[in-house]
Amino acid sequence: MLKESIKNELERIVGKENVLTTPEALKAYSYDGTTSWIREPDVVVFPTTTQQVSEIMKLANKEKIPVTPRGGGTNVSGGSVPWLGGIVLCTTKMNKILKIDKENLTATVEPGVVLQDLNIALAKDGLFFPPDPQSFLGATIGGIIAENAGGPACVKYGVTKQYVLGLEVVLPTGEIVNLGGRTLKNVVGYDLLHIFISSEGTLGVITKAELKLNPLPPARKTTMAVYADVAKAGESVFRVLENGVIPDKIELLDNWVINRIEEMMPMGLPKDADAVLLFECDGIPEAVEKETEKIVDIVKKYGAIDVRIAKDMDEANKYWLARRAGFAAVFGKAKTVFAEDVTVPRRKIPDLINKCKELAKKYNIEIVVLGHAGDGNLHPAILTDINNEEHYSRSVKAMDEIIEEAVALGGVLSGEHGIGLEKQKFLKRQLDPVVIDLMKKIKALFDPNNIMNPGKIWE
Amino acid sequence: MEDLKELKKIEQFADQCMKCGFCSFFCPVYQEERVETSVARGKNYLVKLALKGEQKFTDELGKIIGKCLLCKRCVVNCPAKTQIDRVVVGARAQMVKNKGLGFVKNFAFRKVMANRKAFGNYVRLAKAFQWLLPKTEGKIRHLPDFLKALGQGRNIPEIAKTFLRDMVKPVYKPQDGKAPVMRVGFFMGCATDFVYPELGLKMIDFMTKRGIEVVVPQEQSCCGAAIYFSGDFETGRMLAEKNIEAFKDVDMIVTGCATCSSTLKDYEKYLPDNEDQQKRYEEFKKKIKDSTEFIIDVMKVKPEELKLKKEFEGKTATWHDPCHLVRYQNIQAQPRAILKGLKGLKYVEMPNTDLCCGMGGSFSVYHYDLTKKIAAKKMAGINATGADIVVTACPGCMINLIDNILQNKMPQKVYHFLELVE
Repeated sequence: MLKESIKNELERIVGKENVLTTPEALKAYSYDGTTSWIREPDVVVFPTTTQQVSEIMKLANKEKIPVTPRGGGTNVSGGSVPWLGGIVLCTTKMNKILKIDKENLTATVEPGVVLQDLNIALAKDGLFFPPDPQSFLGATIGGIIAENAGGPACVKYGVTKQYVLGLEVVLPTGEIVNLGGRTLKNVVGYDLLHIFISSEGTLGVITKAELKLNPLPPARKTTMAVYADVAKAGESVFRVLENGVIPDKIELLDNWVINRIEEMMPMGLPKDADAVLLFECDGIPEAVEKETEKIVDIVKKYGAIDVRIAKDMDEANKYWLARRAGFAAVFGKAKTVFAEDVTVPRRKIPDLINKCKELAKKYNIEIVVLGHAGDGNLHPAILTDINNEEHYSRSVKAMDEIIEEAVALGGVLSGEHGIGLEKQKFLKRQLDPVVIDLMKKIKALFDPNNIMNPGKIWE
Repeated sequence: MEDLKELKKIEQFADQCMKCGFCSFFCPVYQEERVETSVARGKNYLVKLALKGEQKFTDELGKIIGKCLLCKRCVVNCPAKTQIDRVVVGARAQMVKNKGLGFVKNFAFRKVMANRKAFGNYVRLAKAFQWLLPKTEGKIRHLPDFLKALGQGRNIPEIAKTFLRDMVKPVYKPQDGKAPVMRVGFFMGCATDFVYPELGLKMIDFMTKRGIEVVVPQEQSCCGAAIYFSGDFETGRMLAEKNIEAFKDVDMIVTGCATCSSTLKDYEKYLPDNEDQQKRYEEFKKKIKDSTEFIIDVMKVKPEELKLKKEFEGKTATWHDPCHLVRYQNIQAQPRAILKGLKGLKYVEMPNTDLCCGMGGSFSVYHYDLTKKIAAKKMAGINATGADIVVTACPGCMINLIDNILQNKMPQKVYHFLELVE
């Protein structure tokens, strides 16, 4: 329970209208994009300036109240769920784009800016922010940085950490610091900037970001390759790359997902195919044409039974809409879904897919595969029901084995979702105890009272 | 345990949500407030808790589910296809059942709006005092304090001298004296009846000129939008029955109001309490045509053969998509075909043309400040077109667009598309 004096103090800092304590509001801030991680805060505050964030942190640090930073709450790790109660510090009202610097290809933004809003504003200047988490309609820049988010386009463009030049951060003690800067190169002392990227809100609150931008590519072309064997599709991914073409996206949909999408919105996807790969090339028109031709040759050579090149943007958009509908298709068909986020070196994609097939048989459960095949981030999803104990326990075992296999293949247990609450129990499988200990020491250094998003990352 | 009958009906829709949060991008209310309880995901979550008995039907819950325009932008953009409108309306119905309508709505819906005659009398009473109000421009008057419930400083249209139903005949024969090519019922709707009666006469004239026999049953009532969308299903069903009965002798019913056409069509979606009602509401739905779809799809009028009124020659027009047309009925091509076909009129598409105007029926009464903020985005879209006139097909939208254009001292005039043609 929140002390009345703390509530009053918070209201003094951010104004009465920016403090929520009704039971209904607290319930509405008890979840994120996951299904099973629910915990209510004691209060939700909406600061509008860095100074206010600093004052909130000073108060929380003095009173030792947990603070969980939150943006759009679209994350899928449990990361923004206030696991130990306390304050949810919501940045959605700090949503100004402060500057778009066309000459320097940079933008200065507040943490609550929604990615799609940023890209709409940037497009007017012929620019874009390349990391493309598929939650772009709701995800805010602060969260995107804190989770080091990525998406389909990272095959070519990389993930968020490659596009953050500088950050203004409020530390758990309330101090305001600036890390990094505005330049592409910067080797002044330890790279503390990157400690904050993927810190999952456990080290401080991001209050301002200096982002690196790219010019919008003038042309795009989408190609769909159809396979009779999903593992062959997996092989095509690295064959295309090793033959010198780097598309901006390579996405995979398996037979199950294709059929669910066709049920939801019939669009002529090949229902008999074991899998399809979607490629997108972007860049100057001539290069895009050449690269597309090359992709067609390579995938045909390595087992595609059919290849379709989208004749126009409408057809291309149709395919990408199908891809985006993929997750809805999966979640709509099961009470509980484990949306795995394992990532393996690309050469190992077929091995991981085969393992998933094997486990589906072994445990007699549905494991579907869709994801960012181009970067080895596969998102195998297990369909189960938490209320069906027997089925659920088989599914948990299968998930365990998928993670084990991914790590054995030289991969990681999370490529882009983060650890949060969802992947905590697997952390030790991946990281050396010495490394975990180092991380804990870093955490203690920044946050001596352990008030910043406590209960996350490690158990 | 509280009664959950209405909520149970929408449980399957509430279960569709996978909490991705994409609705936040499309929700006009969230875009202004940026708080989780404003957006579909938050509302849906609370309704799900209510279904489990973990959330009581508190006043706060009432406020939260009340603060939705029912514009359905989140619905059409939802990856999981969650029908949040049904969740919100169902939850409101449960609220009304368990807690009762508030005094204002109780009086307005049950005593006034549900009774066509009483409604007319109350509107008349307001009309009698109209001369007291400061006149802004032409027919628009400021609302005085005693009608504050409708929003302070709001420009509302002048109430008609004579209501449409006091002017209309029960039957209109085709003007050419020949045997009718078809026979349709005309549904007036409250705004047309009390504020824009000339629009109703225009619609009747348009049809009878083209060989159609038009029947205007006096027993017709309010469509029920403001009533059942607020959760008063009991009164909603009563109105549905009145309208079904009033139009039982015609196979097709035409209305010039987008909200009315969608509301009449959707009785079957929101209101049924038993299989018999479900069946009869579904049958009724088949009869309903919005004026836009009726003209293009049924009458097969060629837009280029329509004659533009002289006063609009050389003007530039833009189209505002009413929520009840573009999303509730998926009608967008037909009105554009008409506007683009009219010779002498230049058509420009509005950015954000499908964005809600902010009216949301009684939403604008309770959240007028939000209405103005949401409308400001619409106004920016209108200004970006450089159009002289804003055309739409919903008197509700018209009232709100006119108010906000005046508030923002903009030059554009607002018309129903029927007003443009000879």
